[in-house]
Amino acid sequence: MAKHSPVVGRYVTIEVDGCEYSVFYLRNGSGVPLVCQHTAGCHNHQWRGLLEDPEITANYDVIAYDLARHGKSDPPNNREWWKEEYLLTAEHFMNFINAFCEALELDRPIFMGSSFGGNVALQLALHHPDKYRAVIPVEAAEHAPGFFLDLWRHPHANAAQVCGSGVWDLMAPQSPEHDRWQTWHYYTQGAEVFKGDLHFYSVDHDMRGQLGNIDTRRCPVIMMTGTYDYLTPPEATEATARQIPGGIYIEMEDIGHFPMSENYPLFAVYLKEALRIIESKS
Amino acid sequence: MVMSVRDWATRFSEASDRDQTIGAMAKYFTCSYLWDMGTAKVIVEMIDGKVYRINVDPAPMDAYDFALRASPQTWREFARPIPAPMFHGIWSASFRRDLKIEGNTLALMQNLRNFTVQFELLRKVGVPV
Repeated sequence: MAKHSPVVGRYVTIEVDGCEYSVFYLRNGSGVPLVCQHTAGCHNHQWRGLLEDPEITANYDVIAYDLARHGKSDPPNNREWWKEEYLLTAEHFMNFINAFCEALELDRPIFMGSSFGGNVALQLALHHPDKYRAVIPVEAAEHAPGFFLDLWRHPHANAAQVCGSGVWDLMAPQSPEHDRWQTWHYYTQGAEVFKGDLHFYSVDHDMRGQLGNIDTRRCPVIMMTGTYDYLTPPEATEATARQIPGGIYIEMEDIGHFPMSENYPLFAVYLKEALRIIESKS
Repeated sequence: MVMSVRDWATRFSEASDRDQTIGAMAKYFTCSYLWDMGTAKVIVEMIDGKVYRINVDPAPMDAYDFALRASPQTWREFARPIPAPMFHGIWSASFRRDLKIEGNTLALMQNLRNFTVQFELLRKVGVPV
């Protein structure tokens, strides 16, 4: 008897700012759509625990896509992308997510992302509040400078290992060793896009002075950060949430920057609380 | 009681040389680095994944590729079995605490996978400060 997962993968073709993308996504569950963005330089299998969590998928349609150029999603089909430096911007990132959700005809999904996915969640709450039921920015902040580094793909170093081990201590030492190495493994697979992703994360994403304009009555914002995250430490996320009228902050003990991937059972405790809060506001 | 730097060097060499995670990808793990712990300094020389030599009394002109410098207190925090947040790695401590990474950081990046594993051996071996 084959041990099949209930998770199913599919491709959908979308158009974003003139780019045609073949986008791969994983999906399981039914109910309120919960769209999940992986971290920079990674792919959707970071959400493997959530996608197979029967408690969540009983009530939520969990969809985790690979951003273009990541995992099984290709670079644009209709451009000579190899002749341009990849530098992700907030505008293109948001347009991609909006186009993906529209293509799947999702009815005001909850959007959750971690790290650069968390930062774009904040951007969506500000610029597209009526498209999303709520956002859950995980490991996010109004501004996250310092990680747009040449060393991520220096030709004199093994970029796969630099990316995998460069993010190693973003994870908590208490997280299960197997899950941390699995996350390391994912990071060895995205070395060519990591720096371009971080252009958004550390450079183009700067919401300082704008957080007060987020309307959480239209789009609730529930922020969550782990105590072992050194890029957006708890105090950075908390300070961000405090500037958002009605913004909520949940601190996650003993976990790091990749909570869904490094220790899903612990992350699930906090996620269920965030979903309960969103349900109470709907 | 703080262990002597010589005892530390013996313990660290043994732990590193028998570490399976380093051994699984040891070839070309070749570099030298200084760990400046304030009251103790060492230069570790690695050749193909094995500790070739640990200089426990570096002279001013002794060479190395890159250096990690921090206070004795920070090194003691690194050596806890489960370090507190921000003392749990070289990136976290350089972003949020007093760790300074100096020298040829490209050499560090070329050996980052194994160096990171080796650094975490301090949680088992301890530090001589």
